[in-house]
Amino acid sequence: MGERTEQVITLSLPSSMQQADLLEAVVAEILKETNFAEDIQERIHLAAIEAGTNANKNDNRARPSEQATFQLTLTDDELTINTVADTEAFKHKASETEQAIELSLPSSMQHVYLLDVVVSEILRDTDFAEEVREQINLAAIEAGTNAIKHGNKEDPHKRAIILFYLDDDKLTIVIEDEGDGFTRKEVADPLDPENLLKSSGRGIFLMEAYMDSVIYEADGTIIKMVKYKETPQLP
Amino acid sequence: MQVNVRHKGSITILDIEGKVIGIDALALKEIIDQQMVIADSEAGNGGKLNLILNLERVQMMDSSGLGTLIASYTAIQRNDGRVVLLKLGGNVRSLIVMAKLMTIFDCYDTEAEAIGHFL
Repeated sequence: MGERTEQVITLSLPSSMQQADLLEAVVAEILKETNFAEDIQERIHLAAIEAGTNANKNDNRARPSEQATFQLTLTDDELTINTVADTEAFKHKASETEQAIELSLPSSMQHVYLLDVVVSEILRDTDFAEEVREQINLAAIEAGTNAIKHGNKEDPHKRAIILFYLDDDKLTIVIEDEGDGFTRKEVADPLDPENLLKSSGRGIFLMEAYMDSVIYEADGTIIKMVKYKETPQLP
Repeated sequence: MQVNVRHKGSITILDIEGKVIGIDALALKEIIDQQMVIADSEAGNGGKLNLILNLERVQMMDSSGLGTLIASYTAIQRNDGRVVLLKLGGNVRSLIVMAKLMTIFDCYDTEAEAIGHFL
């Protein structure tokens, strides 16, 4: 028997959100990466919907400001969904006007697809234009790829944490990794003629092109990106 | 992502469908490399690959996907083969324009035109 692999993905979201839908979408995407039999997939799927609905109904109805946190543990032969009661785990308190969603992933490239799912779900009921949603989606995928691949070097023991703050006028995405960081100025310009035919090095360029602002903090281990519903007017 | 491989005479056509992001971008690179190896082993076309990448049903492509297009382009050119892009779908066109690669890639809107490139 080889080493038993266990991957823990956590998803934390406010009870005011359609959390059953988001949890269901994330679980469906995780199941795509597994070889579970179809009837087992169906059962997990139903359990996910129930967990999402219950967390909303029982735990948080009276406290709408509370976060509901779901811990998804994936091994070779099972996926367990736990509702974590202790919301202390959720450290990033949102302001009154915001909705905060946190996704914490082990550093495996196969999980990058979860970012696509979560961003699509978060933006589903907002009035961001279709083209803008796609740009946000791609920026999130690029940032997630950078954190998992270049930051954490795909070490499964290191985590990538992605926070989404949804406000009336904007979406903020904060991506943290456990790597050594990088200096933005030292990243080569992919539009420089001598770099045009390089097959990598465009992730940051695309994030900056697609989002309204991208800020690098903590030596580049934290990236904060903002997209406004209306393009801000420059003074 | 799904990729269908078909041949028209000496031309290989890949119909790519879905999202070419993350590990699927690497998977696409492997499929193209495989086609280069197959072309190399077949003396019929002088060992070079004439490739059309049909991107009509690509929903989304990230920088890894774009990296695969560029890496394939340079590898195939090096072996005297050629690669053209057909029907840039999803965000692929804006991605290529933003990366200033429109002058590098030959892009066509119909399969007949793309095939004409090799004649």
